[in-house]
Amino acid sequence: MSLTTPPPALIPALTEFLLALADDKFFLGHLDSDWTGLAPLLEEDIAFSSLSQDEIGHASAIYQLIATWDGRSADRIAFGRAPGEYRCASITTIEDDFDWATAIARRWFCDHFDALRLERLRGSSLAPLKALATRMAAEERVHTEHSDAWIVRLGKGNADSRARLQAAVDRLCVPATDLFEPTAGAEQLEAAGLISAEPRLFERWKESLERVAAAGGISVRVLPRAASAPPAGRAGRHQPGFAAVHAELSEVFQLEPDGAW
Amino acid sequence: MSKIRQQFPESGGDFAVPAHADLRAYEVFVRTERGKPQVHAGTLEAPDDELALQYGREHYGRDQPCVEVWVVRRESILTADSDRDVIFRLSDQSYRQAKGYSDVRRKWEKVRAAKAVDDYQREDLKEAF
Repeated sequence: MSLTTPPPALIPALTEFLLALADDKFFLGHLDSDWTGLAPLLEEDIAFSSLSQDEIGHASAIYQLIATWDGRSADRIAFGRAPGEYRCASITTIEDDFDWATAIARRWFCDHFDALRLERLRGSSLAPLKALATRMAAEERVHTEHSDAWIVRLGKGNADSRARLQAAVDRLCVPATDLFEPTAGAEQLEAAGLISAEPRLFERWKESLERVAAAGGISVRVLPRAASAPPAGRAGRHQPGFAAVHAELSEVFQLEPDGAW
Repeated sequence: MSKIRQQFPESGGDFAVPAHADLRAYEVFVRTERGKPQVHAGTLEAPDDELALQYGREHYGRDQPCVEVWVVRRESILTADSDRDVIFRLSDQSYRQAKGYSDVRRKWEKVRAAKAVDDYQREDLKEAF
């Protein structure tokens, strides 16, 4: 069965799930764009900027999809929510302080998670979502290839690059598992076929990370997020650093929220 | 400027490309449609082949419709350069150049417009068969 609009009863749960996806990409793209002009190689600078634009482009497409049933404009959804209404996971708002290994590791955890998350959406019974996810999944593969390439190169570079990468991976292992915090009502979406169920989501993510880490000679130790873990980003409970990133991200919009761009 | 960027360390020492970065030059070609030839699109520098292909795809393949990207190590390209090598013939062989054909059709039409040609051809056929 293929739907062109979501069933009204499932709109809140679907919006939560899609906001988590879009907000993750929006914040990650925003933080990564800070590297424009500063990445370690000229070509990498262009590539990394282009990939962060991709993330913001993906986020924008999802906000526009949400806007088709939400009543608010995509811009207002993107920039005009209160901090507690954002659904991004903590890892997407952790600043890298211009440590390249941290920036790469942050992307790496997120890219592999997004590849799997988009796969679940490619099976959606909601036609516009399925079409969007299919297109984004193709680009996401470019993203994972890019971050994998850097993980392997930093891991096999020299003692210094390996140590820095290992430290970054170790530091982000725990916040990365916040990506798995379920959004409210996700099980209803699975039951209704709006997203595919993937019981092995964590195992597949862990396996793909371990495969790349092994190629780079580093270790990655991720543990499943405990069901008893307190509510976090998916419930709008963010880390202290979130407010600053959010304020900067929405600074221009907040100058004139009703302005026409 | 981004507030975060204002925290960028002044020295920037950690971000300099080390002398041993050992980048390699690559030439990039793109094919914009199936059946069309590969066309040189630009150059890039990368530490190895895999990243070169990623960068080539990222920089040259995605801003326009594109079905195939090639990256080639510049050192693999064999070059004949007109500063050193004879590429174009020195003697006048302009008759070998495919010039002037654009006007042939117009000339033919002019000749055919003259009725005499048709009469001649009719007679010619009669004689032959």
